[in-house]
Amino acid sequence: MAVESEHVTADVIEAMEFPDLSRRYAVRGVPKIVINDTTEFVGALPEKEYLAQVRAAVEANGKE
Amino acid sequence: MGLIADNERETIRTLFDERLAGEVEIVMFTERESPIIIPGKEPCEMCGQTEELLKEVTSLSEKLKLTVHEISNANEEAQMLGIDRVPSFVFKGASRGGVRFFGIPSGYEFSAMLEDLVDVSSGTTDLSEETREYLSALTEPVNIKVFTTPT
Repeated sequence: MAVESEHVTADVIEAMEFPDLSRRYAVRGVPKIVINDTTEFVGALPEKEYLAQVRAAVEANGKE
Repeated sequence: MGLIADNERETIRTLFDERLAGEVEIVMFTERESPIIIPGKEPCEMCGQTEELLKEVTSLSEKLKLTVHEISNANEEAQMLGIDRVPSFVFKGASRGGVRFFGIPSGYEFSAMLEDLVDVSSGTTDLSEETREYLSALTEPVNIKVFTTPT
């Protein structure tokens, strides 16, 4: 997704090497995906549902 | 014998030959071992191996280039890229947004990283039309963190 939009930054984080981040984002299973520090889910999702999560995160930001 | 097995090395070389569209620079941030032991400061356990792995990967195609910065000496560049941890690296190519890695990519993550290199080399993905339309219309920042473990 980051390849397609200049507004997207994708971070791949190795959870064991950064235990402080894993704690902060309560990582208990992988892959865990956190969007804009607000929306999160665990496990691979089909692209359509993944996009729905991104949409939800962007809309949640807009409401704040 | 390096970190990448010989047979795998050939597979990756072929993948790069066939699919890398343009050049990609991998900019890595590391912390080399200091002869001085600073109390309370952990040495970077995976920095050496990550650098070695990226060296091996970039040696498999002329389109790939590796630049390594000691994080303490490259504050400005690290700040610009939003990097405050090591080992870490970013892909610079035809990607519109930022693609950053924190920690060594191993197991499944290693293959995923190779695919990401291919995407960044062309600036295109195999995402659906709907997804791409949505992304191109975005006007505000989106940060996606993906936590993985070595498998």
